[in-house]
Amino acid sequence: MQVSLNWLKDFLNIDCTTEELAEKFTMSGNPVENIVKAGAGLEKVVTGKVEKIERHPDSDHMYICQMNVGAGELLQIVTGAQNVNQNDIVPVALVGAYLPCGKKISKGKLRGVVSNGMLCSRNELNIEGDSSGIFILPNDTPVGVPVAQVLGLDDVLEFELTANRGDCFSVFGLVREAGVLLNQTPKFPEIKVTEDAGKNSADLIEIKIDAPDLCSRFSARVLTDVKLAPSPEWMQKRLEGAGIRSINNVVDVTNFVMVELGQPLHAYDYDEIKGKVLNARRAVAGEQLHTLDDSNRLAKGGELVIADAEKAAGLAGVMGGFETEITEKTKTVVLEAASFNSASIRRTSRAVGLHSEASGRFERGVNEKATITALDRAAQLLQEMGACKVCSGVVDVYPAPKSEVKVQFTCKQINDRLGTSYSEKEILDVLKSLGFKISEVGGEVDSDDVIDKISSAAKHFGAAAKELAQNTEVDDFVQSIGKTVGELIKRSNSESFTTYEAIVPEWRNDVTLMEDLSEEVARIYGYDKIPSTLPKGSQQGGQSKFQNFTDKIKNILSSLGMYEEISFAFTHPDMFDKLQIPADSELRKAVPIKNPLTDEYPLLRTTLLSSVLENAARNYSRKNEDVRLFEIAPVFYPKSLPITEQPLEVQKLVGLIMGRREPKGWTQNNVEVDFYDMKGIVEELFAGLAISNYTVEVGEHYALHPGKTAHFKKGREILATVGEVHPKVTESLGINKKVFVFEADVETLMKYTAKKFTFENLPKYPAISRDLAILVNLGVAAGEIEKVIAKNAGKFFKEVTLFDVYTGERISADKKSLAFNIKFQSNERTLTDAEADESFKNILAAVEKNFEAKLR
Amino acid sequence: MEHKIEELKAAANDAIKKVATDLKELDNLRVRFLGKKGELTALLRGMSQLSAEDRPRIGKIVNEARAQIENLIAEKNSELKAKALQDKLAAETIDITLPGRKIHSGHLHPLTLTLNRVKEIFINMGYSVEDGPEVETDYYNFEALNLPKSHPARDAQDSFYITEEILLRTQTSPVQARTMQKHKDNAPIRMIAPGRVYRRDDFDAAHSPMFHQIEGLVIDEKITFGDLVGTLDFFCKEMFGESTKIRLRPSYFPFTEPSTEVDVSCPICHGHGGGCKVCHDSGWLEILGAGEVHPRVLEMSGYNPSKVSGYAFGCGLERIAMIKYGIDDLRLFYENDVRFLNQF
Repeated sequence: MQVSLNWLKDFLNIDCTTEELAEKFTMSGNPVENIVKAGAGLEKVVTGKVEKIERHPDSDHMYICQMNVGAGELLQIVTGAQNVNQNDIVPVALVGAYLPCGKKISKGKLRGVVSNGMLCSRNELNIEGDSSGIFILPNDTPVGVPVAQVLGLDDVLEFELTANRGDCFSVFGLVREAGVLLNQTPKFPEIKVTEDAGKNSADLIEIKIDAPDLCSRFSARVLTDVKLAPSPEWMQKRLEGAGIRSINNVVDVTNFVMVELGQPLHAYDYDEIKGKVLNARRAVAGEQLHTLDDSNRLAKGGELVIADAEKAAGLAGVMGGFETEITEKTKTVVLEAASFNSASIRRTSRAVGLHSEASGRFERGVNEKATITALDRAAQLLQEMGACKVCSGVVDVYPAPKSEVKVQFTCKQINDRLGTSYSEKEILDVLKSLGFKISEVGGEVDSDDVIDKISSAAKHFGAAAKELAQNTEVDDFVQSIGKTVGELIKRSNSESFTTYEAIVPEWRNDVTLMEDLSEEVARIYGYDKIPSTLPKGSQQGGQSKFQNFTDKIKNILSSLGMYEEISFAFTHPDMFDKLQIPADSELRKAVPIKNPLTDEYPLLRTTLLSSVLENAARNYSRKNEDVRLFEIAPVFYPKSLPITEQPLEVQKLVGLIMGRREPKGWTQNNVEVDFYDMKGIVEELFAGLAISNYTVEVGEHYALHPGKTAHFKKGREILATVGEVHPKVTESLGINKKVFVFEADVETLMKYTAKKFTFENLPKYPAISRDLAILVNLGVAAGEIEKVIAKNAGKFFKEVTLFDVYTGERISADKKSLAFNIKFQSNERTLTDAEADESFKNILAAVEKNFEAKLR
Repeated sequence: MEHKIEELKAAANDAIKKVATDLKELDNLRVRFLGKKGELTALLRGMSQLSAEDRPRIGKIVNEARAQIENLIAEKNSELKAKALQDKLAAETIDITLPGRKIHSGHLHPLTLTLNRVKEIFINMGYSVEDGPEVETDYYNFEALNLPKSHPARDAQDSFYITEEILLRTQTSPVQARTMQKHKDNAPIRMIAPGRVYRRDDFDAAHSPMFHQIEGLVIDEKITFGDLVGTLDFFCKEMFGESTKIRLRPSYFPFTEPSTEVDVSCPICHGHGGGCKVCHDSGWLEILGAGEVHPRVLEMSGYNPSKVSGYAFGCGLERIAMIKYGIDDLRLFYENDVRFLNQF
């Protein structure tokens, strides 16, 4: 909705600036999004009279004009325009002007002749209308005045209205609001029509409503002897300010009344209406519609159309029909003012892709009580222009007239909701000024409420007295009691028991409850007047165990040098192929989005690997080759396909590392991370989460290297999978580097986190350690050897640490050398070397036996 | 004899003084003068030839000379050691302008850091943190919030649909209804619900098909609009600094009445403008929508609006983070470029 300031000034005395008015509108709930200032760029454009005009001596198309711009001296300006004559008054852009069209005017010479400005066309001044030559102004235009003033250019307010205020989609609605804000009573025009056609509307046209659920009222008036012409300049200007182009007087008047009153009107060429009947009915599926944009549309069925005896003449409230459009030949006009169902209009205008001034108003709801007023206003305006004669009567079909909306309230309820203490008068005054009719209802006293109030007052008084008696002198005490009593009296005034009834003005379809009235009071007095308080009482806040656990994971991983990522929950089937997810895997059964934004993301992800690998690939393509990422986020598993209920949402954890083990630097070697870096991070995470006694086993995973995949397990349950991403997967993602990942299920991790923290005391006696260096076959798993060591190390075994792994020239190619440090310790005494040697012997024997190991 | 001793002392003094750096050379001198076969020892041996009355006197002189030479050697010794240490330290001088040894330090995502602060503020005020599903039913996402199917306000939230009745939630508000339904007998609620939400917006500097919201809901007896104002004022001051002001503009949401949009004073330019890129010199930044809970919303989830009232608010986490960190492009949050992430 946009409107020019002058239109509002027709009804109100506005002496504040446009900005101040806009601020008042915005701060009371009708936001002004933008102000288009009048004559922006026309500051140095004035009216000028052509005193003398002669041909340019060196040009066959240019003229030299001597211009009177009210400055005493004549100004010489060269123009190429062909429509300028002596004594014409035209807009003159002076040197220094910076026109809306982007031209900067400076002093110059045209083919050797000095020119001190420019004569302007409408286009150059950004003014609608014929722009083929210089804009010739009426010959009574004063000379030397700013052109913006002469043209009556006007500030335009552009509103971004909320969906509930259909009434403010009209000049009258905004004027009513402004009237309250400026404390003025607007002077609305008298709407009066003289019925002079000598015919009855009802004799000429029949109105029917076959779909009363979609059209609650349909009123029509017939105008005869219609003379089509341009509408008067003042109306064109008003419409221009409202962003509507002038067409002809009939169409302009319908638009004018729509903007003025908020009621969309439609004009039909009476002679083209077959059967002289207009019916608001539902379209039949497949029905042809020839709309006024001259396109043929097929109805889906169920849309509201206005039809004559033969066919649908237009989409009600959205677009009129082609045949019944007003043309040069139109002699008789039927004006329609109706109230259409907002949901139906919304659906149709979305389906057609057409959002018009009219459909926008119907979607927010029009005041169905005012259809006849709108018809009368339109007839009155056309009549005043001498453009028609008006038939008597209105054809009005209104099957179920809307009854008045009444809201009961007490001022205490309103103050309680807002936390304010407005007096009865203050509250009632605001509501009355907004058009609510207020009456008292009974005024019965709620005795419980009175008792509550008295006891609460007594409590306040008692508490105040007690406190003051302890802390202050008698004088202060007495004074404070006076103040407390005064406040209580003030409060009891605002907490009136009187129940009122407000009759909601017919144009306000957004007010039905006491709560709505409280907003009216709050917004007119200003939200800045609401006292700032905090809720009374207290409650125990905090997070769930799961939320805390999630936070803990994030903190541990970031302390391990990992960066947290946050990525979209969407994915694409191609990603399943890239990840090598088997064709029959459940992970391919993803939740499809019915209306994805682009083809890029039609599914919800079933694994976080897709996200973290995409992020790694993006970083890699940007030459960020050292990447350490993790994320906790849900994946989505459908319960059935096609979807019939909400899918499962499972919180997963994923991590990824690639690139250098240590950040690039002068002291660091550039060794790249490997499997064991990733495994180490998972081990540290588990330690931090107090998950212990898990096993690590050789695993299989669709996206991972078959020889470098491990499962962290508790029994048969997998806690985490760690591995190197399969080289074909990295290749498909364009990453020419080794990438290592882990994934885990957050709930599963939480299940195995130790419930109790256990503390181990520091040892009192020294440990004895022995190193065991052995040669074994390449295929032997070090983890298995560690298990055998632990099992055979006797009761003083403390821990085993693998500290060296060697393969290479010094040993045979099918062997590897492993070195373990084994620690023995007792809590009761210092162990002897003999005891350690004994255990070591047992370990060696077991290792030799189990793994054909040879001592090195 | 006495003369010889004096000569020896002078010789020792000269020799010790001449030693410049070498501790070994000093040791050689110690052997030469004081050792078992040294010159002073040799002199002592000659004492047997002295008369009995001279002997104690000369013995004393010899011992004094010994002490003097020992002293000289000790002094020289510590002087040489100090110099050696000094030389050693000088030789060990490094280029301290070389950068320190780098280690990988991890980073939480800026949205997580911002959310942690928001959660902290509200948890301290007694709010619980609630979750809800991201794939929601139309009922919880719209209907239970007083947004029936035909409601024009639905247009403002273009949704990703899974079926007619199931969609990606467009707001965290459905957690309101879900939390209310978990409570009975008008039990008081103080909660926030942070989470991902989804709208069919193109991915650009100001829009994203997925983003984060924080919903807040308080229900209790006599909760006023003023309580909402006070809470939001407190929150904004905690979040953006003590001098932050808030401005409330009346607005419309189907689930609250009265409704308001809330602006904070620009924490970058503090309303002084001067080409502020964050607030475009308006001095205010729109940050959240809020209001007193609509009675129908309470009713639909089993609360009695004549017994209790409440307020609700919803704000964009990205918006807060962008203001807090001065980030002007939303896409940075989701591209997860490590050069972005490692700044937080």
